[in-house]
Amino acid sequence: MRFVEEFRDGELGRALAAELPALVEPDRTYKLMEVCGGHTHTIYRYAIEALLPEGVELVHGPGCPVCVLPMGRVDDGIAVAQHPGVILTCFGDMMRVPGSRGSLQEARSVGADVRMVYSPLDALRIARENPEREVVFFALGFETTAPSTALTLMRARREGVPNFSCLCNHVLIEPPLRALLDAPGLEIDGFIGPGHVATVVGADAFGFIPRDYRRPVVVSGFEPLDVLQSIKMLLTQLASGRCEAENQYRRVVSPEGNLRAREAMAEVFSPRESFEWRGLGSIAHSALGISDAYAELDAERRFVVPGAQLEDPRECQCGEVLRGEIKPWECRVFGTACTPERAIGACMVSPEGACAAYYSYGRHEPVAETA
Amino acid sequence: MNGAARGPTGEGERGPGCITCGDVAVRMRVLAVDATGETARCVDAGGRRETVATALVAAVAPGDALLVHAGVALHHDPGTAPVPVRGGA
Repeated sequence: MRFVEEFRDGELGRALAAELPALVEPDRTYKLMEVCGGHTHTIYRYAIEALLPEGVELVHGPGCPVCVLPMGRVDDGIAVAQHPGVILTCFGDMMRVPGSRGSLQEARSVGADVRMVYSPLDALRIARENPEREVVFFALGFETTAPSTALTLMRARREGVPNFSCLCNHVLIEPPLRALLDAPGLEIDGFIGPGHVATVVGADAFGFIPRDYRRPVVVSGFEPLDVLQSIKMLLTQLASGRCEAENQYRRVVSPEGNLRAREAMAEVFSPRESFEWRGLGSIAHSALGISDAYAELDAERRFVVPGAQLEDPRECQCGEVLRGEIKPWECRVFGTACTPERAIGACMVSPEGACAAYYSYGRHEPVAETA
Repeated sequence: MNGAARGPTGEGERGPGCITCGDVAVRMRVLAVDATGETARCVDAGGRRETVATALVAAVAPGDALLVHAGVALHHDPGTAPVPVRGGA
């Protein structure tokens, strides 16, 4: 790996951006979707859109796992947290995500023992330290995070920690991308692929996009020059009529990914028949549950959870944002009824959500968008 | 927020954001490997230190660079240039 600073050099960025106009046709629009919320954050933090030629538009995809978690799963977490004697642990982002009856943070304010952790291994430590309590880890995230949970469950079994279990909400990247690509009328010309998911699943895992859907994809790193270079690679493909899966993030991502991590996931998890996604609906085989081999560590089998499928709030347009159909500022409640301090939709709760990124970096209105 | 307190998203300093549940990871350098070989004491570019689980990557050694997500190393570059460290190793 190289130094981070190399990938933030403003002069190099401007030189790279200067090469882009030659790659676009004057009267054509190019819609490129960054799948990952981490990329969205980079794009706004470094004002990358301002460096792009006219006609090139970045669309924000469903790659923030907090944003795509439906309200029913939040309710399940709250229900488990309200069991007597339970300590529910979760990542910080999850605390304020609204369910139908409030958030985990609100549940904590009325007595539930909900604690933030940085790693599932921290949750396991809390279980060891509190043998008289049931400790549940609310697992969430794509393939980047699932190996951490898998490793933790393997360790819990090996060490024999009977009071530890996992409420599993891990999701997979390919099924929602296929759902987007299968949707009629999708106007996305190319994809900026999620670099750290690819660290686990491998760059080759994104080959289905050009193969099955005739769209180019470039697996990208997260520094501003990574993203700019990935945009250039996509535009180069489009200009030359190529349609391939390319890997801009070779300093980290291999074609096959992290085989140990994938083996750990295969041992601990099994695909769910279907899973509900906020804004995208129910998608087959899009999420992971705890495998039968690890059933004793599955909180869904240890506790009674509601398991309800609930509609998103009517005023919330997170779904259209996640599908790339509207920009965050086009949502009817963006920046008014829905702000990071008082969020209605999950896209505003998570710092990686497209709405929160727009709000945090001042992209509050159409004028700013089109400037 | 927990992630913000720990540091930002991505490979280095990137402002507010949760490093735990998105598609993000942090580059760290190995300072020392524990006796079991299952964890390593690491430091990131901002000088923050952390014990990292290394079971999902090949054997690590001091000076190696790791990509760490939620306390677990996902990628390992042996013998690469050290991540710059503020405040000493």
